[in-house]
Amino acid sequence: MAYMHIGKDFVPPDVAGKVTGRIKYSEDYTREGMVYARLLTSPIPHAKVVSIDASEALAMEGVFGILTADDVYPDGEANSTGLKILTNEPTLVGEPILAVAAVDEKTAETAIAAITVTFERLPFVMDPVDSLEEGGPDAYNGGNTFVFREGFAQEKWTSDQVASFRAGNEPTAEPAAELSYGDLEAGFANSAFVYETPFTTAGYPHMSMEPRSAMAYWEDGKLYLHGTSQSLTALADGMAGIVGVPKEDLVFINAATGGGFGQRARAGSIPSMAIPAKLSQKINRPVMMRCTREEEFTIGGARQGFQGWIKLGFKQDGTMAAADLWIVSDNGGKGGGGDAFSATNAISIVYQAEAVRFRGVSIGSNTAHRGAQRGPGENQIAAIVSPILDKAAEELGIDRLEIRKLNTPQTGDVGGINRQPFTSAYMPEALEQAATAFNWEERITRSRQRNGSKVTGIGIGQGYHNAGRSGMDGIIMMGPDGRLRVHNGVGNLGTYSYASTSRAAAEVLKMPWDRCDVITGRTDNHLPITSPQDGSNSIFTNTRTCFGAAQDMLAKMKEIAAADLGGDPADYDVSNERVHQIADDTVGMTFGEVAQRAMELGGKYTGEAELPEELAEWTQISVSRLAGSGFMGVYHDPRHSNNPPGFTVTCTEIELDTETGKIEILDMVSIAECGTVVHPQGLKNQLVGGGVWGIGMSVLERHLYDPQNGLPASTGYWQSKIPTYLDTPLKIDTGWVDLPDPENPVGARGVGEPSMGSVSAALNAAVSDALDGHVFNATPVTTDMIVNHIAGISEEWVPLAQNNFRG
Amino acid sequence: MGEGIVRYKRDVWGEEVILGVSWDLLWVVAVAILVLLAAHAIIMAALANKKMEKPSDAGRRVLRHESIDRLFHWVMAASILVLILTGIAPIIGLRISWLNIHWISGLLLTFVVTFHIIRSLFWQDFKSIILAPRDFGEPFDSAKKPGKYSFEQKGMHWAVTVVVLAVIVTGLLMFLQIDSPFWDRTNSMPEDQLGLVFLLHGLSTLALVALASAHIYFALRPEKIFYTRSMISGWISEDEMTANHDTSRWSPKEAD
Amino acid sequence: MVATSHDVMPDIELYQPTDEENALALANTLGADGWLVGGGQDTYGWLKDRNKNPAAMIELTQIDAWKGIKEIADGIEIGAVTTLTDIANNPLVQSRYALLATAAGKVASPQIRNVGTLGGNLIQDARCWYYRRGLDCYRAGGNICYADSPEGLNREHALFGASRCVAVSPSDTAPALVALDATMVVASSSRERLIPAQDFFVGPERDIVNMTVLNDDEILTAVRIPSTWANAEFYFEKVADRNVWDFALVNIAASFKVSGGSIEDARIVCGAVECTPRRLESVESAIRGQQRSEELAASAGEMATEGARPLNYNHFKVPLMQNLVKRAIRG
Repeated sequence: MAYMHIGKDFVPPDVAGKVTGRIKYSEDYTREGMVYARLLTSPIPHAKVVSIDASEALAMEGVFGILTADDVYPDGEANSTGLKILTNEPTLVGEPILAVAAVDEKTAETAIAAITVTFERLPFVMDPVDSLEEGGPDAYNGGNTFVFREGFAQEKWTSDQVASFRAGNEPTAEPAAELSYGDLEAGFANSAFVYETPFTTAGYPHMSMEPRSAMAYWEDGKLYLHGTSQSLTALADGMAGIVGVPKEDLVFINAATGGGFGQRARAGSIPSMAIPAKLSQKINRPVMMRCTREEEFTIGGARQGFQGWIKLGFKQDGTMAAADLWIVSDNGGKGGGGDAFSATNAISIVYQAEAVRFRGVSIGSNTAHRGAQRGPGENQIAAIVSPILDKAAEELGIDRLEIRKLNTPQTGDVGGINRQPFTSAYMPEALEQAATAFNWEERITRSRQRNGSKVTGIGIGQGYHNAGRSGMDGIIMMGPDGRLRVHNGVGNLGTYSYASTSRAAAEVLKMPWDRCDVITGRTDNHLPITSPQDGSNSIFTNTRTCFGAAQDMLAKMKEIAAADLGGDPADYDVSNERVHQIADDTVGMTFGEVAQRAMELGGKYTGEAELPEELAEWTQISVSRLAGSGFMGVYHDPRHSNNPPGFTVTCTEIELDTETGKIEILDMVSIAECGTVVHPQGLKNQLVGGGVWGIGMSVLERHLYDPQNGLPASTGYWQSKIPTYLDTPLKIDTGWVDLPDPENPVGARGVGEPSMGSVSAALNAAVSDALDGHVFNATPVTTDMIVNHIAGISEEWVPLAQNNFRG
Repeated sequence: MGEGIVRYKRDVWGEEVILGVSWDLLWVVAVAILVLLAAHAIIMAALANKKMEKPSDAGRRVLRHESIDRLFHWVMAASILVLILTGIAPIIGLRISWLNIHWISGLLLTFVVTFHIIRSLFWQDFKSIILAPRDFGEPFDSAKKPGKYSFEQKGMHWAVTVVVLAVIVTGLLMFLQIDSPFWDRTNSMPEDQLGLVFLLHGLSTLALVALASAHIYFALRPEKIFYTRSMISGWISEDEMTANHDTSRWSPKEAD
Repeated sequence: MVATSHDVMPDIELYQPTDEENALALANTLGADGWLVGGGQDTYGWLKDRNKNPAAMIELTQIDAWKGIKEIADGIEIGAVTTLTDIANNPLVQSRYALLATAAGKVASPQIRNVGTLGGNLIQDARCWYYRRGLDCYRAGGNICYADSPEGLNREHALFGASRCVAVSPSDTAPALVALDATMVVASSSRERLIPAQDFFVGPERDIVNMTVLNDDEILTAVRIPSTWANAEFYFEKVADRNVWDFALVNIAASFKVSGGSIEDARIVCGAVECTPRRLESVESAIRGQQRSEELAASAGEMATEGARPLNYNHFKVPLMQNLVKRAIRG
């Protein structure tokens, strides 16, 4: 389809501000009388606060007040997992105990150093498997796991069961969760190649450049909260509840966010923003709270690490006949997510396994908060499975690209434990396109070629995430000036999706982009509810709502034109900012005129009547405030069915130096399969950015905790080993399939998360290839592991260690 | 990290625990012992002319220390001196490689002290070193003469015994906390206990410095130097014996 | 109360002397309370975390006499506050002492090299994270090591010369300067000391709380590189987890005098394997007079790690160090 906007590059409105530095992040704001808050965080991995003596601190000049858990939870803290605003029962080092407000940060820190908190030390655990063992310590007060709606529980295995798991065997304990389809036993029986192994994946922080800083003040009973978020209205919606302020009295301001990657999608993952809000309320001054990098790492959270066991069976023809996974997920100190199930689901979807079983348990450890991080589950497992797939290909004498092709998902297939159909799936096309772009046929001949101490490794990997939701709302407005104002609640995370989704509305009304305004940045701009900007869903979900709202406005334009100019609404169309008769385009009105007319008519045309029934509370508030002020298009998106997948395929060529253990990525190509491409430059950024993430996961990133005392060893970008510009290839080539998805009005699906998974999968596969097919069954595979492997040193690989990458 | 007698530090979770003895005390001890010994020397010099004549070292010789015991004494003395010197070097800022010498000397000391304890219990006249109630009258009554060992000698011996045992026990516990050719360190001792061990080691070291200084001082005093000679060659003269000891309570055999 | 993350500068006096005399007088007066600042890359972390609490900072970068690279009678002299970027880009260093230019160019990241000084890179403190976290370990004057234990995170720690503390020398330029037989010029208000680079660094067995022999009143003012090793054959390699902004897992700096394929003389130094740059004298004497060959390189590699005592998680440094020595000798 020939689009006016879809598939075309544009300059998102925030770009100039970002390039010039004029755009404001939360800590760039200031307010008269503003004071600064700093946190006293727990130095102990698991403890109870016995007493707090802040008398000396509060007597200091320039200190304005203190906020403790008793202030924010007067009725006591909830007996559940999840981050708290402040706590008297810390379950990880770095959990905020109290905040102090002072004239500046230095004074606040000096005051904090003068506060004495007496703790009762409690048993702690760094490795979930240690906690699983009978008599092992529990991370939480009341157990080592949390059962939804039931509360804390203890999962315990016998010492023999733990020892057997650690020795690499299939766990024999009863899983907390078990889901499956197909005949697993028959699958393995029919397999010509079966691979069974324990595996580990490391969990590490999200590394957002902007720490979770926030500034708050109260005015006329309203809370003005400057914060950081990847989902403007979806986050504000929950944040109102956390602070305890009615939704209509919260103004959440967030023009730009320096990274989220899953940890700022929902209010529950960033309750620390309530600290300045509550403190400001208590001391009646604006309060700015800037978080440190270390705090960002501890309360900002991390990916769930896995300690698992996997068994894959392949038939003689290469078909994946059976996949069996047993995963112990690290839930960290504040509870985690569902990575393990998503990982298993991804195997079912990407490799179309005929029989799949998932068993698992999520166990707490007194480490960083765990939560969704870019492809939570799907991306970890992609890196584990890809080298195994190559092993199967080698054993069965099949080309590595071919084995992926013959297991590929495609339109008409179902996938996942719940056997859900795809809305569409063009993975075969993506594989083909990647192979062509990479010149697979020729490249694969270089596999394992030696050049001095260097060996060439070739890798291919696939990424997947469910990439679309529905059920949200859209609002667009137009005034007598005829400009289209798209009210967009999607946060500005740096993906430009707040702008690119708005272009679906412009497309419907055929509006030139320079005549469109994206209204966003603060909730008192009256924004509709959107899905949290996570799970790669924004482009699918919110093009649906913007498209829908524009359709509503289009219909209303036609109605008004038909009423005023005669004929039937169906006789009208729009072009060049006019609504006009199809037969005679001289008969029509400009958008400015039609908006003017709409405002005269009022009622449904201005949001004062006949609103969609299912509008979310947040949207209702916004619509009610906009009502009567302009011509309104408003829409509630009904639910779609089936799974809109986001897929990527990556091919890479590396050189591994067998003497230093270092790898160099010589070439990398990533191809996206995300339906119709809405914003090529944005997509390219996602593919390249995801690529850097994938490199980090595969071979570099770590989040170390000292097993002896629970202290975090990775408290900054240096220790965490995020990839630098010389660890990444000079160029990552990108491309896309660009075929439309039927469940989206502009054919689009998301792809933010898979872009990382396929790179990680390809890179781990390439490392294995360079080492003659040796499979590490772990991420990351680091320099020391490679050197040890080549030297035949085995001592340092601790089976199932939470993080094999020791500091 | 704290003033006074004890130094404190933060444990791994920020709580205050004992780190060890305050080494400022080393200077206090050094000055105090210097002042005391100097005072003693001055008083003794003042009293010197009133003193009776020094007993002769000529004539019959009796055996005071068997060769094996003399060997023990000097090995012990050497190891203690080495331990003190190597232990103090890093405190006073001397950049020498002290630790290996320190623990090797410590092991040597442990070995010879163990040897001495066993030998003294079964092969030596253990009674001769026991401090009995009557011994306490000795300094106040010049008519009362000791058996083999004087009150001061017994006192010094037992003080050294207590302090050396303390320094050995704490030293061994500390030795277990470092890598050695025999084991890798484990970090198994809680930090508060470790601090206590360091404190006791430090305190006993300070006491040992004081005792060793006093001991060396007395060993070099003219009226006592024949005891030092006996620790080298084994004998004292009969004259020296009768002048200083009650022969009814100590009747040594003749020296070879 | 130890908070886990202060991350803000405390109140501190800042002295910015502009001449040598003033700086030395300040160092003398302030002693241990005066913290010397070059580019500040080793300073601000300590101070912002309040894990070191000196009363004052003495900033040395405004003293022109201690800046720049000049020719002297026998070789060159580099001022201690010359930036690493300036050293890496200096034609004189590049042409005669490429080893140092390469090493300086491998330090950290361009941003850090632009402000980081040679002196700072040489006297920077240990990077052991337990120590940097402000724990009262041996190196901080305490009575315990958290890294050298069955569960301690010691992947990046020492193979050699550990004595209670297992931290390693983090510098990239230090091995290069030892391999070039440089001399450290150390001044105080009362005297000047000339210390061979090799003796400038000190291990925990001799001094567990300092990395160098500098006394509190002394300042490293310059480094002199003699012409002995000018234009020799050099080899520098740094293996780190990351290619930018990282410390070496192992690095190697070597100078060779080669004639007709035969090694006449050599100085080979490894960093990050011991608390001081580790000069491999036994390897040097074993290869002296030998023809360069794969066999010689391999046997020298083996020899290089004799006496290594790996901890629980740094065994990989043994083959890595062997391989780097091998590569250096192979040329």
